[in-house]
Amino acid sequence: MSRPIRMALTKGRLEKDTVGLLEKLGFDCTAVREKGRKLILPVPDANLEVVLAKANDVITYVEHGVCDMGVVGKDTIMEMNGKFYELVDLGFGRCKFALATKKGYDFYGGYGIKTIATKYPNVSRHFFEKKGMDTEIIKIEGSVELAPLLELADGIVDIVETGTTLKENGLEVIEDVAPISARLIANTVSLKMRQAEIERLINMIEENL
Amino acid sequence: MRNYDLITPEGTKDLLFGECIVRRNVENKLLGLFKSRGYSEMITPGLEFFDVFNLNSSYFPQENLYKLTDTKGRLLVMRPDSTMPIARVVATRLKDAVLPLKLCYDQKVYRTEPALKGRSDEIVQAGIELIGSQLRIADLEVISTAVDSLKALGMPFSLEIGHIGIFKALVGKLDVSDHMKEKIRSRIETKNFPALNDLLDSIGSGPVIDALKKLPALFGGEEVFEKAEELIHDDSITCLLDELREIYRDAAEICGSDGEITVDLGIVNKTDYYTGLIIKGYLQGHGEEVLSGGRYDKLISEFGYDVPAVGFAVNVNAIEKVIAKSGELPNIPTADAVVYAEPGCEAEAFKTARDLRAQGLIVENALFEDLDSVREYAMERKIPKVVVVDGSGKEEE
Repeated sequence: MSRPIRMALTKGRLEKDTVGLLEKLGFDCTAVREKGRKLILPVPDANLEVVLAKANDVITYVEHGVCDMGVVGKDTIMEMNGKFYELVDLGFGRCKFALATKKGYDFYGGYGIKTIATKYPNVSRHFFEKKGMDTEIIKIEGSVELAPLLELADGIVDIVETGTTLKENGLEVIEDVAPISARLIANTVSLKMRQAEIERLINMIEENL
Repeated sequence: MRNYDLITPEGTKDLLFGECIVRRNVENKLLGLFKSRGYSEMITPGLEFFDVFNLNSSYFPQENLYKLTDTKGRLLVMRPDSTMPIARVVATRLKDAVLPLKLCYDQKVYRTEPALKGRSDEIVQAGIELIGSQLRIADLEVISTAVDSLKALGMPFSLEIGHIGIFKALVGKLDVSDHMKEKIRSRIETKNFPALNDLLDSIGSGPVIDALKKLPALFGGEEVFEKAEELIHDDSITCLLDELREIYRDAAEICGSDGEITVDLGIVNKTDYYTGLIIKGYLQGHGEEVLSGGRYDKLISEFGYDVPAVGFAVNVNAIEKVIAKSGELPNIPTADAVVYAEPGCEAEAFKTARDLRAQGLIVENALFEDLDSVREYAMERKIPKVVVVDGSGKEEE
């Protein structure tokens, strides 16, 4: 048999959901469930090799073709861009990008340039570019909610799931930016060179979503 | 101020010894092949006016160009591509040349790639441009050259063909803005089925919409044409499909069993300069195409000379990477002999070395003061022979 198809999974929740999906397809994922500290794990009956990586790295590995496929959130895809095929919306990992401000704040009022704090500068820039709005974007690594509270920023662009964190900190969503869910991506050459195997897997996945 | 005097800019690197041998081997193989098929080499300047790359049908986003100004303050770029400069030459100095013109090149192009992504900003491209023929046989000539180029590399390959006209004809039937057409195109290009379906559903329904939805899935072997025929019942598109199928069959026959010919009706590059056939070449073990090209019948007319053209370029750096991954770098050939001159015999020693080289040997002149040092040097460098010139004839060891 040829080299297994390598699939990079975003560590954490998307990894668990994907493993759940693979098990639903009838594949034995024992090795992945009992992974210990290993980062490359076999799913032998699917001729798959699962690689565990951080979200951004999933895209990097797939782009370079060292992993044939990957599971990664639309949030990461929107922020990173890159050259790969985005084949399937896996439906899990659902949340959204949203613009939030302090409760009651008039974000679009006045003529002053607004400052946005975010972990996703490209998504934010693109969102406001489409509105023809100049903004100042500040990259924050941790809890973005802090920035408006500390009056560093007028608003934030961030991932919102339930909105509880926002609420507890006196913030509110004023506009949705984009919906997010997990995507199955593939390297552009791998899809062609190993078309039959990858298509078979995708068909199985689509039937079981 | 920080000093960057010991490193090269990001996206560039020095090539040493075996790496140079690999590069020159690939370049010589490709250029040799092109020339053996009657293509003549061109070298265009590394610097061009920005305007050359700023035409309607070209797609070179300004943020990806290396820019500088000349002494008159005019905007220059480091050449990001070879096809545009060649089109410029064809429309000017070669305007009266007998057609078809068969041109080839092997030169560097420069584009700014995102940092820290493992990409090169300086890439060697070797390619051909066949100018002045709109015939099917010209497409086949270019495909056959592409097949032979990939074959010459001696690795498993696949060459994919497509036709931009199919997408253009389909999307032309929709009554939507150019902006919407571009959105559809980008989703087909990335085979983003969920987003493509949502977008097309928002436009309407019908056979054209259905065909566009399936377009990115239409790739693989000859069965693709049957699937496409079931989906598309438009005479002009069927005609394109039939043409492409004929080309596919001929290409498969030319290719034989060393590689594989495939088809993808969903290749829809952003650059508008392709007008017909599109080709892409892949090597096993490399995550991006190593060869790409197609037909660009409208490009040269933007320089004022309306003449059709078709061509492709091979990414030489990508091939080097595949070769480096697949095995060891070639050994650097060592000298066959080193010639040592006793004091006073230096001129004679240089002449002796020259005579030996004339016999086809690699011969160094020793650059030491005593014979022991020369012997030591020869041992270290694994040079099998030390020739001593002492005025009395030749002594060899």
